[in-house]
Amino acid sequence: MTTRPTAKDLRHMLAWVVGLVCVLALLATPAQGLTTDRTTAAPNQDGGRNVIGGEPTRITWVGTVEEGEEVTGITLLFPAGCELSDDSYVKVQEMDMSDPQHPLHNERSATIDLTAARLIVELDEPIPAGNLLYVEIYKFCLPPVSGQVIITGTYTDASGASHDLTPSPPIDTIALTSTQRLINDLSEQEWVKAWNSVKFLNIFVNPLWIVASIPSLFFGWLRSLGLVLLGFPLAIPVGLGISFLRMSRFRLLRFVSSIYVNIIRGTPLFLQIYIAFFGLPLLGIKPNDYLLGVLVLAMNSSAYLAEIFRAGIQSIHKGQFEAASSLGMNGVQTMFFVIIPQTVRRVIPTMTSEFILLFKDTSLLAAVGVMEQMMFAKTLVNTAGNMTPYVIAACYYLIVTLPLTRIISVFEKRLAASEGREAPPGDKDKMTKRVGLFKTIAPLSATDSEPLDATTPERHSSA
Amino acid sequence: MTTDRITGTKTSASTGLRAVVRIEGLRKSFGSLEVLKGVDLEVDRGEVVVILGPSGSGKSTLLRCVNLLEKPTAGTIYFEDSCITDSKVNINHIREKVGMVFQSFNLFPHLSARANVALAPRKVLKRSHEEADRIAIEQLEKVGLGDRVEYLPAQLSGGQQQRVAIARALAMDPHVMLFDEATSALDPELVRGVLDVMRSLAEAGMTMIVVTHEMGFAREVADRVIFMDDGIIVEQGSPTEVFDAPQHERTKDFLGHIS
Ligand SMILES: Nc1ncnc2c1ncn2[C@@H]1O[C@H](COP(=O)(O)OP(=O)(O)OP(=O)(O)O)[C@@H](O)[C@H]1O
Ligand SMILES: [Mg+2]
Repeated sequence: MTTRPTAKDLRHMLAWVVGLVCVLALLATPAQGLTTDRTTAAPNQDGGRNVIGGEPTRITWVGTVEEGEEVTGITLLFPAGCELSDDSYVKVQEMDMSDPQHPLHNERSATIDLTAARLIVELDEPIPAGNLLYVEIYKFCLPPVSGQVIITGTYTDASGASHDLTPSPPIDTIALTSTQRLINDLSEQEWVKAWNSVKFLNIFVNPLWIVASIPSLFFGWLRSLGLVLLGFPLAIPVGLGISFLRMSRFRLLRFVSSIYVNIIRGTPLFLQIYIAFFGLPLLGIKPNDYLLGVLVLAMNSSAYLAEIFRAGIQSIHKGQFEAASSLGMNGVQTMFFVIIPQTVRRVIPTMTSEFILLFKDTSLLAAVGVMEQMMFAKTLVNTAGNMTPYVIAACYYLIVTLPLTRIISVFEKRLAASEGREAPPGDKDKMTKRVGLFKTIAPLSATDSEPLDATTPERHSSA
Repeated sequence: MTTDRITGTKTSASTGLRAVVRIEGLRKSFGSLEVLKGVDLEVDRGEVVVILGPSGSGKSTLLRCVNLLEKPTAGTIYFEDSCITDSKVNINHIREKVGMVFQSFNLFPHLSARANVALAPRKVLKRSHEEADRIAIEQLEKVGLGDRVEYLPAQLSGGQQQRVAIARALAMDPHVMLFDEATSALDPELVRGVLDVMRSLAEAGMTMIVVTHEMGFAREVADRVIFMDDGIIVEQGSPTEVFDAPQHERTKDFLGHIS
């Protein structure tokens, strides 16, 4: 036969060969005496879950000694590119499983020989069958690239024979980020060392943690901002609607809306968050956490906005309604073309304060696990054991709140200027008489030039 | 103060009835306080009626009942051929034809003079933007504010504001104008400009009901003067009759205090 093999033939052949190799491998390798249970490297990224290559990490290798075996030593082989750091060390432990309910951790003495390429452990006493062998390599650097690291090796049984270990599952590594590099460089600087030697500075404004927190908290900040930027615009129409109900002709509508407003304003936002996040799942409703966070914030804010709008509308002089009516405008026209445009200018400062309060209150959602600024900061603080991430989180909040506070005072000044001359000159006592009259009609009314704050219910932050 | 004559406001009135406003047995209480105690009044087309009376006598309340800013407790009010106290009547339609000028101007502070005047023609009469602006500028020119159309109320003097308010009411082409102490909130030097506008409006044949303390204006412009006290019309007649030969003690008393 001189015909050339086709691709199909080749594939068949390949399958046969692979199958054969597998069978042979199974026959050749006796049952494993020490099986690799897990091999991990501890995350060494500030505020992250990744393992950075080239940075010290802790490698944990765990294996089980199988039935009828004893293990006296183990050799782990590391891929090229691994490095020791100045203070690398190894800890060997045994997990005694003789009482599986209460496993015992015993430190094991052993002769240890560690290089960047391999680790040789010779146990003083063998580990009996059924127990677990723990090998931890501290301050060990995996190759400084992003990729996968597989650790292989051998073990020695009681007879002194050496057998291959099953290769470890791969460990993912990432390359060093520029932030991490900057942190590394900084940590070498003399001034940083001097700075950090002052306990207060070290704990609250540690330069290394400042650098680590800024990029990582930026995303938390975006998420917090997202919560309020979605929740607040949602609260505005709802709040306006409720304010109309609050001023409705119909008693039932007034009653229902006032219950809504009073319950929401009378209870802490924190409690409302708990009820929503733990109550809805009990009803079988499991909405997206972030979305539910937006909804709870919107619901809460709508009650405050409703009162701000109501006070704003009622602070508009009764004469404005009468002038519009006397021109034949109906209620809707009066509201939309005469009252609301004037109300908007007056409520913008108080609405902005409400926005600021709501933005700060997004932090309460951390308590139910919504990922936002506080959660990001908390996670960082937990890994850092340092308060600096909280201080940076505070700065991120201030980036939003300080300029807005400035804007409020500018708005207020402009408002005062634009309305300052609204009262007709020389009409002082008539004005007061008029106000006196209206107090009996609209308890929240104010004269045209009076700042709104006097009548607007202030929200007291619930946290 | 130069003011163009205001003309042509009567063209839209074409019903056969002479009375534009007819009030019968009008009563109004605020809680237990009875402010109007049975008022009968008829105002003919083109007539200028001036209402005088001490403070608290119910003048404003009477005026505000005519366009139902206050809801009468009892009695009936007719505007042209409709009974406006009838609950079936669409009061907004009536109000389009009843202009009102307030003591406190009540201009819309967020709108320019032009926009103040143009708002109701646009939204209520559904005039186009351009048409409403044209009406607004025309009316503002008539009250002598052609050079102030883009000013905000806060940028105008009290007298100018009140003239904008008059222009705003006139832009709806009303059949009757109600003035409630239109000059009382003004500094004395600003009063004349407003009175000039009102005078030329009267000369142009506008039906007007005017509450004022300006006796000179009343004597000069009024076709009929009404003296009110304590919620009733005490006395009425031509300016000469009421001012020069008041019949009632209370009228004499009041006029004595004024002059
Ligand atoms: N909305 C209201 N609620 C309660 N009482 C009112 C109301 N409006 C007017 N009054 C009372 O009705 C009475 C008459 O008021 P009105 O304003 O009609 O008087 P007036 O003759 O216009 O007085 P002035 O010359 O001071 O304007 C007054 O005692 C006033 O206090
Ligand atoms: Mg009055």
